[in-house]
Amino acid sequence: MDELTITPGSACQGCGAALAARLAFKALGPNTIRHGVPCCPDSATMTPRGGGGVFEGGGAALTGTWRALKAKGITDVQVVGFFGDGGTYDIGLQGISAAAERNENIWVITKDNEAYMNTGNQRSSSTPLYAMTSTTPVGSVIKGKQTGKKNIPMIFAAHHVPFVATASVGYPEDLIAKIEYGKTLTGFKMLIIQSPCPVGWRYDPAKTIEVARSAVQTGIWPLYEITDGEKFKLTYKPRELKPVTEYYKPQARFRHVTDEQLAGIQEDTTKNWEKLLKSDELGQLLI
Amino acid sequence: MTGNKAAATAVKLARVEVLSAFPVTPQTTITQYLSEFAANGEIKGEFVNAEGELSTQVIVQAASRAGARTFVCTSGPGQLYMHHPMHSTSSSRLPVVMATVHRGNKSMQPDHTDLMSQTWTGWIQLYCENNQEILDTHLMAYKIAEDKRVRLPVAIGYDGYVLSYTAEPVEVPSQKSVDDWLPPYEYQSILPKDYDPATGGRGFGGGGRDPQQGWITHHEALLNALPVIKEINEDFGKVFGRKYGNGLTETYKTEGAEAVMVAMGSLAGTARAAIDNLQADGKPIGLIKLKCYQPFAVEDFKEYGKKFKAIGMIDRNVCLGHGGAGYRLIRNSLYDMDERPKVLQFHAGLAGKEVRVGDFERVGEKILKAAKGDKVSQVEWV
Amino acid sequence: MVVGIRIHGRGGQGAVTASRLLATAAYYDGKFSQAIPMYGTERRGAPVTAYVRVDDVRVRERELVHTPEIVMVLDPLLSTRQTMADDMAEGGLLLLNAAYPPEEVKTGGNIRVATVNATNIALETLRRPITNTAILGAFAKAVGWPKLESIEKAIRKQFSGRIADMNVEAIKRSYDECSEVIPAPVKIAGESEAIAVGGYGVLKDVSSWRVFQPVIDMDKCTGCKNCWIYCPETAIKWTDENKPEIEWRKCKGCGICVNECPVGAIEFKRVEIKNE
Repeated sequence: MDELTITPGSACQGCGAALAARLAFKALGPNTIRHGVPCCPDSATMTPRGGGGVFEGGGAALTGTWRALKAKGITDVQVVGFFGDGGTYDIGLQGISAAAERNENIWVITKDNEAYMNTGNQRSSSTPLYAMTSTTPVGSVIKGKQTGKKNIPMIFAAHHVPFVATASVGYPEDLIAKIEYGKTLTGFKMLIIQSPCPVGWRYDPAKTIEVARSAVQTGIWPLYEITDGEKFKLTYKPRELKPVTEYYKPQARFRHVTDEQLAGIQEDTTKNWEKLLKSDELGQLLI
Repeated sequence: MTGNKAAATAVKLARVEVLSAFPVTPQTTITQYLSEFAANGEIKGEFVNAEGELSTQVIVQAASRAGARTFVCTSGPGQLYMHHPMHSTSSSRLPVVMATVHRGNKSMQPDHTDLMSQTWTGWIQLYCENNQEILDTHLMAYKIAEDKRVRLPVAIGYDGYVLSYTAEPVEVPSQKSVDDWLPPYEYQSILPKDYDPATGGRGFGGGGRDPQQGWITHHEALLNALPVIKEINEDFGKVFGRKYGNGLTETYKTEGAEAVMVAMGSLAGTARAAIDNLQADGKPIGLIKLKCYQPFAVEDFKEYGKKFKAIGMIDRNVCLGHGGAGYRLIRNSLYDMDERPKVLQFHAGLAGKEVRVGDFERVGEKILKAAKGDKVSQVEWV
Repeated sequence: MVVGIRIHGRGGQGAVTASRLLATAAYYDGKFSQAIPMYGTERRGAPVTAYVRVDDVRVRERELVHTPEIVMVLDPLLSTRQTMADDMAEGGLLLLNAAYPPEEVKTGGNIRVATVNATNIALETLRRPITNTAILGAFAKAVGWPKLESIEKAIRKQFSGRIADMNVEAIKRSYDECSEVIPAPVKIAGESEAIAVGGYGVLKDVSSWRVFQPVIDMDKCTGCKNCWIYCPETAIKWTDENKPEIEWRKCKGCGICVNECPVGAIEFKRVEIKNE
């Protein structure tokens, strides 16, 4: 597998999203057209690029590219959107949902760093509960974000598309395997890659992989894949989850979170994990 | 054939490869006709029924960049909704063709404010008077947009209801004649390698490029399109037997006229009838039809300025707080002349207000008064 | 008289905050001022520039400072670059964050120089290499304004509590530890090379980003490839001897490889600044 990102890019030191781009494009291979929308880092790749996109138009841009190729009889190219959580969860959601509903033969890969990092860490609908961002600051009255993270993979599973999966930069083999599998499918494919951001999440840049791994090991960011909106498989199943405090404590964006709040997060995380385990046993997604 | 059927038929004849639309009154039937053509295999291209106008514009933009001939259509509110990506389509110099079935922004009925409010996105804007012109203009639009000297998107405006849903005879050229005249689109980027339309050609991270360069080249491209539009109109006339003035403006019964009124779109038809009546009464007034609004035919109007003592611009629009769009451009074109004619402003048919032949006869008489040197009001809402 | 100031640092050192603190302090001194950040995206670790303009009358112009009377450099590696003195006004003052006295400054020209070891001060007072306040005290000493109280007031407006106290401590130490101002020992400016400033797209060389850098002990290395797979910038190449090799122009010094090496074969060492 060749390296297809052009480095060094403009990402910050220890950027999880830059690693997500590197791993994803390595797996996608050179026969790929990449679409980006404004987000960070705007990783450059050696694959051709569909430029000029607007932030809100990710799903439509991929549709247009794919349909033009199809009209010309070129069907062996991966048409890939590489967006941030802003482009996927928020401003671009409508167009991506429509593309999923039409089952366009495209990839939507999201480097999810849980806030609008390009503009300086403003909250997105992907920002988790209580996280401090520049628009959900820790004030004397309101402390951090008051609502939880939007469950985007499940929303897209409900579109009954061929492939929806989560991945983490802490588990590169899993990430690459999911892309390789997705490449064998025709239709809409989504991969959400949790990509820690040392600047926004406020931890030492050297710990990016550690933080990513602990999200998976605590059950905060479970790794799974859903095919055709039904078949469900956990791709990382520890015998026992680590306590969520292991994930929360090292990140200063959660510094103000109380023990009581952490207990609530632990309860929700465990409940969600048990549901996923049950789905995994059945091989069938339980909602 | 209705105006919308004429547009859909032209799209079929042009062998468009990727089409996208979202239904909006009074454009809806184009979307329906195109769906039908696609369902019956009459259109081989990909038809994307998108979830909103913003996506339709992005879809054709991306498809055009990937080398497909594209078409998108909309009306009033949908036109406003797709505003943002219209900028990147034009600054990426992509030959997208779009039909705008006029619907005013203050009613369902037509006026030109929907498309005119997109002026700053830098598309070529052509306006149509009747259904035949709608069909013909679409065919010409592809040739203009894809011409290597132009490479800009073209918007074709025609009035909702008045044309979109009104049936009249339209001569449809044969597929072979269109194929012969309009070769397939071959994408070839005309942008410099390091030019990134996403950043307006600014190229973050150095390079020393003038950050204004994106605007400069885009503006010049529009100005350079003027002679090409004229040339393609001439050529179309030679092959199909119909042409529209010089492609930019058209004169009607201006021989011996002392004054002219200027009209756009379907109002030009009503104006022709008024001119006929006025001239039958011996009144020396003619008509100028403004077909190409953007880029603006400054040189044409300089000529008209020399010939006529008064020009009355009928705008089916108002740029709020400024005035009529056509009126301002005409006055601007004449400023450098030593002797300038009177230029009067008429606003007519906004929000679909019915305009009758008699209205324009009164307009004509007022313009003639001004030509004689009588004092008349500068601005009038007909 | 208008005084133009250019501030160099890297994302995370607080160059923009320094420009605001300085402008605010000058205002408290009774001057008019303006703090201008360089437009573009700011990336942690990437070189950034900010500007300050101070005058006795209200500052009305909106252009960047093109011939600064004073240049202040927050980063010790950037401090060794001739580029820092580019376009300075004749006789202008170059204040560097450096561990050596002004007599050893190699940056040349018809200018004056002063140094302060701001990184040390920052590490000791703030426990982090955020050098903005740790150089502002030296600025007040070397330039003669703004008053130390004004800077303190500006800091207390920007920060509160313990953070403010630590920063005030930093400016006081910086004031005391600033060197003398002397004419630049090197009169003729050397070759000046451009520095990659952060932004979109691809950069050529990010060596200047590193404060710490990985040093691999090849004897300990087991060839597991962890460092190679986790490097976001593909700065680690794999050699035919089944060993990692660092491509220095790509390494931003994030420390991921250091953290992920399972046998502790990679050490994270402070980049030695060669004042050549």
